[in-house]
Amino acid sequence: MISKLPPGIKVEQKGDNDKIMTLNVGPQHPGSGHMRIIVKIDGDYIVSCDPDPGYVHRGEEKMAEYRNYITNIPHLERPVIHDSCNILYPYCLGVEEILGIEVPERAKYVRVIASELNRCVYTLYWLAIYGIFLGHSTMFMWPAGDRELLIDLLEKLSGARVTHAYFVPGGVRNDMPSNFEDVCLRQINYFEKRIKQYDSIFYSNPILKSRTINTGVLRQNDAIRLGSTGSVLRASGIDFDLRKKEPYDVYDNLDFQTNVLKSGDSYARSKIPWLDMLESCKIIRNALEKIPKSGSVRVKLKPNPKAGNVETYKRVESGRGSLGMYIISNGKPEPYRVKISVGSFRNLICLPYLLKGEKLGNMPAVYWSLNYWPVEADR
Amino acid sequence: MNNEMPNKTEADHNKNVSQNNNSSKIIKNSADLPEFETNIANMLLDKFDKKLKIIFIKKNRIKVDVHKDNIVEIAKFINQNLKFDHAESVTGVDRPEQNEIEVVYHLGSYDPSISNQILALSTRTVRESIPNPGFDKTRLPSLRDVFYSVEFHERECFEMLGVYFENHPDNRRLLLPEDWADLPPLRKDFKIKGR
Amino acid sequence: MSTIAPKFRLGYFIKSLLDNIFWIIILLTLIGIPAIQVALFFIDLPVIDGELLTPFLALTWLADPSRTLPIVKTLMQTDFFKIAVFPGFGFAALLAAGTIFIERKLLAKLQLRVGPFYCGKIEGILQLMGDGLKLISKEIIIPAKADKPIFWVAPLLFVGTAAAFIALIPVSPGWVIADLDVGLLAFFAIIGFFPIITVLSSWSANSKFPFIGGIRALHQMVSFEIPLILSLLGIVILTGSLNLSEIVESQYNFPWIIFMPIGAIVFFIAMLAELERIPFDLPEAESEIVAGWLTEFSGMMYGLVQLGSYLKLYAFAALFVVLFLGGWNGPMIIPQFPQEIITDGIELGPISVTIPGLPLFTPEMLNGTFWFTIKTVSVIFFILIPRGVFPRIRIDLLLHIGWYKLIGLAFVNIFISLSLLYAGVLGPGGMML
Repeated sequence: MISKLPPGIKVEQKGDNDKIMTLNVGPQHPGSGHMRIIVKIDGDYIVSCDPDPGYVHRGEEKMAEYRNYITNIPHLERPVIHDSCNILYPYCLGVEEILGIEVPERAKYVRVIASELNRCVYTLYWLAIYGIFLGHSTMFMWPAGDRELLIDLLEKLSGARVTHAYFVPGGVRNDMPSNFEDVCLRQINYFEKRIKQYDSIFYSNPILKSRTINTGVLRQNDAIRLGSTGSVLRASGIDFDLRKKEPYDVYDNLDFQTNVLKSGDSYARSKIPWLDMLESCKIIRNALEKIPKSGSVRVKLKPNPKAGNVETYKRVESGRGSLGMYIISNGKPEPYRVKISVGSFRNLICLPYLLKGEKLGNMPAVYWSLNYWPVEADR
Repeated sequence: MNNEMPNKTEADHNKNVSQNNNSSKIIKNSADLPEFETNIANMLLDKFDKKLKIIFIKKNRIKVDVHKDNIVEIAKFINQNLKFDHAESVTGVDRPEQNEIEVVYHLGSYDPSISNQILALSTRTVRESIPNPGFDKTRLPSLRDVFYSVEFHERECFEMLGVYFENHPDNRRLLLPEDWADLPPLRKDFKIKGR
Repeated sequence: MSTIAPKFRLGYFIKSLLDNIFWIIILLTLIGIPAIQVALFFIDLPVIDGELLTPFLALTWLADPSRTLPIVKTLMQTDFFKIAVFPGFGFAALLAAGTIFIERKLLAKLQLRVGPFYCGKIEGILQLMGDGLKLISKEIIIPAKADKPIFWVAPLLFVGTAAAFIALIPVSPGWVIADLDVGLLAFFAIIGFFPIITVLSSWSANSKFPFIGGIRALHQMVSFEIPLILSLLGIVILTGSLNLSEIVESQYNFPWIIFMPIGAIVFFIAMLAELERIPFDLPEAESEIVAGWLTEFSGMMYGLVQLGSYLKLYAFAALFVVLFLGGWNGPMIIPQFPQEIITDGIELGPISVTIPGLPLFTPEMLNGTFWFTIKTVSVIFFILIPRGVFPRIRIDLLLHIGWYKLIGLAFVNIFISLSLLYAGVLGPGGMML
């Protein structure tokens, strides 16, 4: 933040540009993802930062206006193919509300299991990139390898490794395979044991701590004011998890807790998703106990279902925070307008605030700790 | 849920109910409407009376329609008195048949008592058939001074629908390329090829 | 349906081979052989075993291989052999290549993956060769606004400086290219070149990321040279010599690391920073500044810099061995050769050719080389290990370590060695030497 600027370093003014160097970090830069960050540095200190997303903008919202409620499913998950169940979740909830469908009980549990697995898949991928951004190559390889476990599970469940298109309005596309519960329990137990080892190699690493603790501190009132969400918000000490606050499907029956850290620095922001993964394992185990052993998993819709002149805003807790879908219907088979409100886009506004006055070496640590997925932010 | 509501609101609510016989604008607390949300709507109606219109009240969701001249005032009230502290999304909806562009702010709160609520604040502006973003009459006052988090959302709305937000400090393109010279792409008259 | 060579015919291929052979023979007989004969008029031929080495004598080697031994032995004593093959470039490049291979496989095992696997059938042993061929075949792109002469020459300077470093390393008794009396000072002088080369190359590239990387490299190397030098002063005090061979000989009874572990640790950490290895790879930090000062290098220029940095890695590890681990000293494990082999020679093969004068190396030399190599490889191993465990450090933390902690520790080390000297335990005229 501005108050942290060391003496002698000023925020850039017109006319004193001679000390300032402009760096284009991205879009072809190993430390930027699919976006450009225009960074102005004075020596080693960042004086201003201007994120420039949009390099992977695909116009999902426009495309959704041309397809009916069912054919929208496969392309709406493209922004986050690693978290495809969670990005389809609010869409399905919204369409179910405007079409007036009641989802079977078993389908709700299957949805919870799939979305928690998918959250772990996303978080592992994110964590792998966080590792390589900090120069820790082992932390890149381990999560990328352990991710295969969960991808195999999701492949068993839905038939596809990443783009599942598993959630449909009215339930899920197909039932779980017969031996899924045993395999899932076994894999989850192993997975939990495995991610606990990340603590010793990554989170307890003294160099990592010295690099991330007290860098990019987002204070609690700033986090609220900037409207950040997800792990960024919870790392700043605000207990806000939509699974608790606005329970959808069967989350109110399940037994889990929200992880909140107080410090609001990069270290806390990077630790919250890891703690969430441990919670996810708990949720999956709990859901596998409580799931009805048989029953339908899908309510069949009519071909080309139409809704009335209604609108709905549904939101779920995705891997990157609250993910909302605003669906407006005008009585046609296609939605009139679909707005996807994503956590990445909302957290992006924190970046200029956190980077101002930081050192250039802290840029990857702060940037990727925002739990930011450029493709999702661009939609 | 009602117990978590601050005492002031309770008092207001009771006052509203007492006024209920005289004023038809106050929504009756009927059985099919959720009570908590109705209270919030009544507080708004009580304060601003004719300046706003309640579109719907559902569980955890309220939609309020206001005129663009009053939106900053009402947003300030919502921010300060109703504890909605951030905007989740800013959606522009093109309505060519009414010659209007609707902009919906979905306001949320991190206050534990109302953190499951979403208040949709919608307003409308004139739509021009030949848009010239930034220079035509398609303008709205920016809510950035009230809800800081709308900064990037309003930039997106500006490029996607051509709604210019006055007093926004940074009305630049965000997602679209710098050399985009077509219609704003989320308008209904921008057609996708082959569809 | 191969699309790589759609018109391939075996006949055409054989014809092209035969064409090539034909032209080679023609050119050799018309130009090559006369040129050799003309050249022989002007060359002073060496005298071996009292006999002038004429071309006719050289031709007799074809019939009797044992007669080549004297000239091989003569050749091995020349400076060229030392520079190019054994203690010099060839040996170092071989160890460096082995280092790269081991680094890849070791890192892969740490990270639960396979590493290079397909190239060369056995565990990807030819991967390095494949990478080298790829780098050679790539186009070299020079930035348009670069200062071209300096930019071209920087990788060569880097390799050259690393090679000059290797020249100081005594591998085995007597086997050192430059046995200087001021060996350690020469080492300090040579490592002083690296930051200059780095800054020159990054400045001449005229690009932002190399510039930041070069400045970082300058800060890092300059600030770590001081603890590096200070940590070695203790050894100089106790040995009383700057000659690296004498330093090795002084460790005949015990290596210095026993008395100066603090100095060894300081030297090791400063060495990691000088080598730009993880966790000190700030000048090449890819997530912040693309590839640092290597960003604009392409093709074999990049390959040369990599070669130079691995040669440097070998040289630093060897220096650590020489200064702290006793160099070539070690128990004699190579048995003495039987005397009759040296005088009478070895009988070989069914026709019993006797080759007197073998072996080419003395057992002391082989033993020294063996111990030196073992120690060097284990030091290299410890240099490689942090890559799998640590993330990258930040520049201010790095400078803080260099200026505050390491220099202090280096002074502690000097005090230890001074107290040992004045107590009369070690050093010139000490109890234990």
